[in-house]
Amino acid sequence: MKIAGMKWALAGFVFAALVAPARAQDLASFEKRITVKVLDNGLTVLVCERHEAPVFSFFTYVNVGADREVPGITGLAHMFEHMAFKGTETIGTTDYPAEKAALAKVEEAYGAYDRERRREVGRDEKKVAELEKAWKDAIDRANKYVKPHEFDTIVEENGGVGMNAFTTNEETGYFYAFPSNRLELWAYLESDRFLHPVLREFYKERDVVYEERRMRVDSEPNGRMFEQFAAAAFIAHPYGKPVVGWPSDLQHFSATDAKAFFDKYYVAPNLTVAVVGDVKTSDVLAVCEKYFGRLPKRPKPDALVTVEPSQNSEREVILHEAAQPLYIEGYHKPSASDTKNEPVFDALQDLMSNGRTSRLYRSLVRDKKIAAFAGGFNDFPGGKYPDLFVFFAVPTPGHTPEELRDAIHAEVKRLQSEDITDEELNTMKTRVKADLLRTLGDNGGLASNLATNQALLGDWRELFVEVDRIGKVSKDDIRRVANEYFVQSNRTEGMIETVPEAGSKGGK
Amino acid sequence: MMKTRRKLLCAVTAFLAALPVVPKLQAQVTDWKQIVIPKLPPFNPQEPRRVELPNGMVIFLQEDHELPFIRGTARIRGGSREEPADKVGLVQIYGQVWRLGGTKDRTGDQLDDYLEARAARVETGGGLDATVISWDCLKERFDEVFPIFLDLLRDPEFRADKLPIAKRQLDTGISRRNDDPEGIAAREAAKLGYGPTSPYGRVPEYATVDAVTREDLLNWHHAHVHPNNIILGVSGDFDSKAMEAKLRAAFASWPKGPAAEPAKVSFQEPKPGVYFVAKEDVNQSNIHMVDLGIRRDNPDYYAVTVLNQIFGGSFSSRLVTNVRSKKGLAYEVGGGIGAAFDHPGLFRISMGTKSGTTAQAIDALYEEIDGLKKNPPTEEELKKAKDSILNSFVFQFDSKQKVLAERMSYEFYGYPADFLERYRAGIEKVSLADVERVAEKYIHKNQLAVLVVGKAADFDRPLSSFGPVTALDITIPPPAGAKAATAAAGPNAEGKALAAKVFEAMGGQSKIGAIKSVRRKVSATLSTPQGEMSIAGEEVTVYPDRTWQKMATPGGEMVIVVTPQAAFMAGPQGARDFPASMKDEVNKDLLRDPLAVAQHFDDPKYAFSAGSTEKIGDADARILDVNAGGAEVRWFVDPQSGRILRASWQGISMNGPGETVADYSEWKSVDGVTMPFKETRSQNGAKAMSIEVTNVELNPTIDPKIFERPAAPSAAGPGQ
Repeated sequence: MKIAGMKWALAGFVFAALVAPARAQDLASFEKRITVKVLDNGLTVLVCERHEAPVFSFFTYVNVGADREVPGITGLAHMFEHMAFKGTETIGTTDYPAEKAALAKVEEAYGAYDRERRREVGRDEKKVAELEKAWKDAIDRANKYVKPHEFDTIVEENGGVGMNAFTTNEETGYFYAFPSNRLELWAYLESDRFLHPVLREFYKERDVVYEERRMRVDSEPNGRMFEQFAAAAFIAHPYGKPVVGWPSDLQHFSATDAKAFFDKYYVAPNLTVAVVGDVKTSDVLAVCEKYFGRLPKRPKPDALVTVEPSQNSEREVILHEAAQPLYIEGYHKPSASDTKNEPVFDALQDLMSNGRTSRLYRSLVRDKKIAAFAGGFNDFPGGKYPDLFVFFAVPTPGHTPEELRDAIHAEVKRLQSEDITDEELNTMKTRVKADLLRTLGDNGGLASNLATNQALLGDWRELFVEVDRIGKVSKDDIRRVANEYFVQSNRTEGMIETVPEAGSKGGK
Repeated sequence: MMKTRRKLLCAVTAFLAALPVVPKLQAQVTDWKQIVIPKLPPFNPQEPRRVELPNGMVIFLQEDHELPFIRGTARIRGGSREEPADKVGLVQIYGQVWRLGGTKDRTGDQLDDYLEARAARVETGGGLDATVISWDCLKERFDEVFPIFLDLLRDPEFRADKLPIAKRQLDTGISRRNDDPEGIAAREAAKLGYGPTSPYGRVPEYATVDAVTREDLLNWHHAHVHPNNIILGVSGDFDSKAMEAKLRAAFASWPKGPAAEPAKVSFQEPKPGVYFVAKEDVNQSNIHMVDLGIRRDNPDYYAVTVLNQIFGGSFSSRLVTNVRSKKGLAYEVGGGIGAAFDHPGLFRISMGTKSGTTAQAIDALYEEIDGLKKNPPTEEELKKAKDSILNSFVFQFDSKQKVLAERMSYEFYGYPADFLERYRAGIEKVSLADVERVAEKYIHKNQLAVLVVGKAADFDRPLSSFGPVTALDITIPPPAGAKAATAAAGPNAEGKALAAKVFEAMGGQSKIGAIKSVRRKVSATLSTPQGEMSIAGEEVTVYPDRTWQKMATPGGEMVIVVTPQAAFMAGPQGARDFPASMKDEVNKDLLRDPLAVAQHFDDPKYAFSAGSTEKIGDADARILDVNAGGAEVRWFVDPQSGRILRASWQGISMNGPGETVADYSEWKSVDGVTMPFKETRSQNGAKAMSIEVTNVELNPTIDPKIFERPAAPSAAGPGQ
């Protein structure tokens, strides 16, 4: 119900290193514990046994996010994610047949109202008001059948914790953890919301989502900048659109639109469900066959057509804000599935950002003291499609984004003209291996990493294999990639320039 | 990709063959209620082993063989709530420089290289009631990493060169703290709840950060880091017996020291009322309602926990159901009675709502508070809440690390080791009457401090409709800078000599003394929210106390006049008076004018104090603090040329209160008087404007009428 694709940005702000989907320890030990099964309808189930305590976590990876939205319905993938907590035909209703009829009337009334109010010529305001009232009355009638929050309540009273979901520019993820005796209940609940979703309370929830936009973007200077930065970096590919949606679309799209989006993209072959914890693989497969097997067999949608054309000119976004300055720059690069370049970019992320030996910390934070935080991060804002490698820095008081930009460019130049040292190369490889290990002792983290690698890269083993690839990265690779991709014409810069607050009075 | 998947499916089939027969599932289920929940298997989490050394150090050992790591965390009594009020931030700085500053043998940078090459971490930090030092390493690196942990624990160096890095981090946080409206609300609400000077509400300021010295860090370390103040928890892939022997060998000879003194803090209920923080660049209001909460050792803790679950602590709670889902007023809404281990937590309700529903949202929150009495919790709500807590109870100890962390907390705060079990029993006993009783006892609508951060012009109803509104000023107090240094240094002969040199370089006292007035024509470029804006202007100064400024703005011609009799601003829509503070500010500007200062060189009300040297460009500029009859300014003087390269002063600028820094360049001589023709200004570190002088006239002919107020007054003049 939360967190649209800004997780990378938030991570930046807590000054924590952003890690690309983590990859793993001893592959052999996981081979023994992990089972993958593709159901007849095309849905993928992944089970990883981990018998530390009588609990399990799951992660449902839906292979659609804001990437399949078109103008007019931006924000709809995220909106559907919110609706997935509103219940089903058996959960959240006192009388589904009656509610269904009432909801159909709401859609009819909304359609009439929306068409009239969006007429640019000859709009009849009186009619708009009447239609609006008719729509709201229809909502009131439908709401009579609602049992509010029944889905959440069932999960919570059965001991579910960490219940949440997020939407990014390319995926939607749902997750929580249950005591291990709730396995069958979980399979029912999780499959039912994708089998029999009911988009009740849609328009109130649309207001809630708009509040989310106000919180993350409109009222948050950094959010405002990131939105503009992405829009500048991607002129054709949907990575440039805000996950939360443009304001106009958030005030327009309907439950009918959301259902159409759901029907097209929430098909079984687009779903990967990972379960990790104190479960028996056979039990999980059995309940998944039984409940997720109910989802109809539908074809996987065609792949997205639009590819971001290669950038041929530098782009710059400057926000003049009464907020403290900030700097970000990004370079286009291939997607996460490009096995030639991706490990090199992963290595670069570690070299530039990880810990106090990283290049940007030493140069910008320790020596020049112009930044409180500086790092370089791979796979912005996704990884599924060709994306960006971004450098991001937060200046200390009195220092400008331009100073940060120049200092980052100096470090990029160094990567291009000098080999990194043997120590740096070895430290990076040792650290990447250990950091992967550190992520393996947690059900929730494992579920999300395994599901994501399985769905995005076709195999959960990518979690481990990528680390092996990083282990083979050479000094030449680093120089090659830095020279090939970190060039001016492939760059988008974004910054906040601090100016006095609007409306304040001038002195001399 | 296909190849790997085929291989994988073969593996799956082989694996499945080895599994027991799939258990029987119930027939087709059409309702979740039909699903039978089996009993949760008994689970006895592994308790850590507790060892108490003769010197008072308590150690917990928790074996965990899942991954090949060994980790340890020492929690040391004493934290920021114990730091002095004039050095708030000390413990945070200590927590950083402890690690950055290295040990006697190795600098922090050397530690970084050594540890990172081994994928190991040794880190330190400062918190509210404790400081922490920890390590995390692969088990085969333990013998290399643990000695560093020990060395840093016992013998840190706090090298002075790392102090500025830590201070800049804190300064960065301070400078940015008003950018995020949620952050403002959370911080100011804590101040309202606990009181602005309470150790639980106060925050670091530039001045308190600046006041922290290396000596303070060393003193803190020596006062607190003694074995009897330490609880050490070690977990990971080791044998407890062998680890215990190693730890005993490491710590046995460490003598006891004085026990850490916990802060003595008094608590009182917040002053009820409506509080407001103005924030212009938002379209959403952040609302917080606060009061004091309780401690966890309060017998009401269990009933309070259940009440919180019902009221605002879960997705299915009343606040979320009614305010978010039914009314669509918020994305984030929630709250409850906070409980802390050894001091009262805060009762807090928080939400964000669009500016236009701010009052409606407050109404809705009040309605929910009243609702606890009008529609007291039902048996169904009670059951749901208790089920949620009890069924999820297993997640309190579902990892060995969590069990260890819990035990360390109980030890630290003097709670019984079986507190978690008591908690479960306590929750089970909570009745509806208990919930009603604690709601009545701890939630009082008319005793809440209600804070709103937002844009008042867009509110649906003024906040005053809820009662008298107290506006909170969250302006960040500027760095002590010039002011403190002036006070500290005091006037000196060197300062007077340096000032003499400055005035000599300007053209000498006789020439300056002959200047009665100056007319300057300028072209200024201002940095505004809409981008850079260029305006042409003209300025006439009649010494000592009159100024007239005219500028051509996009909104028309603006004139500002300050004389001893009047201070006003006039534009196309008429004139309006300056507030006294602005008049005062312009008067101070007049006093700070180097020409005016030069004319008062021998005035006893003027003082000059030379200070240290600072690099401005290539020059080693000498700092000259000037008190010009009450207006203070710091000049950075090039000792070679005698020119003022930079001036800085505190005051109210376009950017609000703060520090203005002006850099001067392009000197030219006008009738034998040398003056800069270019000036760039920044305010509180942000670029504000640049001014280019196009023409200067000394002792021009002045029409006295320009200082008169235009005839037609106007009620509401425009801003700029």
